[in-house]
Amino acid sequence: MRSVREAGAAVTLRGVSKWFIGRNDQTHALSSVDLDVAAGEFVSVIGPSGCGKSTLLRVVGGLVPYESGTVNVAGTTPAQARRTKQLSFTPQTPALLPWRTVRRNVRLLRELNSRRAAGESLSESEAVALLETVGLGDFLDSFPNELSGGMQQRVSLVRGFVLGAPVMLMDEPFSALDEITRNEMRYLLLDLWARTSKTVIFVTHSIPEAVILADRVLVMARRPGRVVWTESIELPRPREISIQDDPQYLEHVRRVRNALHEVSA
Amino acid sequence: MSDLEITGAGDPGSDSDPLRSLADDNRRPAGLPAEEQAPAPPRQLVRRLAILVAPAVGLVLIFGLWELYVQATGVRPITLPPPSRILRHVVEEPGFYWEHSWITMQEAALGFWLGFAAALTVATFMAHSRFVERSTIPVIVLLQSTPVAVLAPVFLIWFGFNIWPKVLVAAVFCFIPFVMNAFTGLRAIDEGAYELMRSVSSSRWEIFWKLRLPHSMPYLFSSARICLGLALVGAVIGEMFAGSTGGLGNTARVGQTRLLVDQLWGSIFVLALIGVLANLFLAAVEARVLRWHSSQNVRR
Repeated sequence: MRSVREAGAAVTLRGVSKWFIGRNDQTHALSSVDLDVAAGEFVSVIGPSGCGKSTLLRVVGGLVPYESGTVNVAGTTPAQARRTKQLSFTPQTPALLPWRTVRRNVRLLRELNSRRAAGESLSESEAVALLETVGLGDFLDSFPNELSGGMQQRVSLVRGFVLGAPVMLMDEPFSALDEITRNEMRYLLLDLWARTSKTVIFVTHSIPEAVILADRVLVMARRPGRVVWTESIELPRPREISIQDDPQYLEHVRRVRNALHEVSA
Repeated sequence: MSDLEITGAGDPGSDSDPLRSLADDNRRPAGLPAEEQAPAPPRQLVRRLAILVAPAVGLVLIFGLWELYVQATGVRPITLPPPSRILRHVVEEPGFYWEHSWITMQEAALGFWLGFAAALTVATFMAHSRFVERSTIPVIVLLQSTPVAVLAPVFLIWFGFNIWPKVLVAAVFCFIPFVMNAFTGLRAIDEGAYELMRSVSSSRWEIFWKLRLPHSMPYLFSSARICLGLALVGAVIGEMFAGSTGGLGNTARVGQTRLLVDQLWGSIFVLALIGVLANLFLAAVEARVLRWHSSQNVRR
């Protein structure tokens, strides 16, 4: 992992293609995708439904196979990165285990596959401190069904960070939240990310979200799924809610929106 | 309980409302000692009492009407003895009923656990393999469609005059609800949680222990409620049809053939009591084990 940081690339894809074979048809989910994500970079992936952005995330995470090309994650194959716990995955739903308290839920990924405990996984007290920073200090021993949707999603985010993996994959984690909560969560995520300097690939449907969070926004098109536009976000960090009034932010949003329009047309 | 708290909190007459009790204070006639003031408005006391008493109302009504009916019509005890007479009989023969209860409870408990263990094993294989699932379901449907009580004489031929034919009838009774519920619980796991666990290369074993099995607990408890009753039914049927010299199914059958009506009804009462106690025990265990589950949030 250290060597990857030195090399500067945490995730590399070269000519990656993936087909979904149905009973009567086949879908070209990814068509020779090339991608370089630098260590510590935050990349958002946006695109219309069915453009393969979730598939891209799952290919990087070693959760689905791909037909051709090469994928390199943290200096190794996705499967090996998964085995050695170099990857942290945050699914769309909070996916908390309802029989575990908040404290024990964030510990889950560290417990699993424990022979391969990632050396950088957070200690118990660090995990609790992280829960306190996201405002869950009073809910450490609560069960998930005692929490609101936004609180559950915060637990899910913290769980991803507690594993301490260098590469984090997030699959529309805020999509089920109301707009106000959702906007808060964006800055909360940026805060957590700034403390840990992880590499993040963040899939989203929301243009503002993609721009607020990322160093780079990738716009994908469908059939075949491919990256058609890259928007480098030049907004200064740390970013606060006021950047949403910044003309530069609005300009980025406009350009990503135009790129999406062309794709959908 | 929860109804009471909700209505109490919203009640303008609630004694926790300081303004209201102040107003009550002012209205109190001069010279009256404070102790005579009711701690809570009477309407609320009545409501609280009513909720406490409610569970007994249905039972008292049924047994009361039964008793009255027998006394009023003078129906012969051989047709229908009054509940007071049955209770008196049971209380007068504690040794007899304890001895036979013990036999029936052993059969039912062994059958319950045997059915549970077999069902969990089968469901585990089903949840992990489409082939096992598809090949097992027809067998389960066959079992479900057959009135398995007719197996009692078969078990008697196989195992002879001992506890096992009764245990097996109870086990077969329990197997079916347990296996269907356990399978659903083990299979219908949260897709996100499954993917999350795969993202760190969890083994099948870990996914079973940390995801599938805990997820199936509410399913197992709800089938256990059904199976407690079924285990007793199975044990009693076994005693009636698979040859026995003991147990409450046997004492009931003997009571019928020898016209010992008190014994017949006494056996029924004791069986009902065992069922109720077993259910209360299960509910207590469930409340502890499923603390995290929404079914236990009665206070909301």
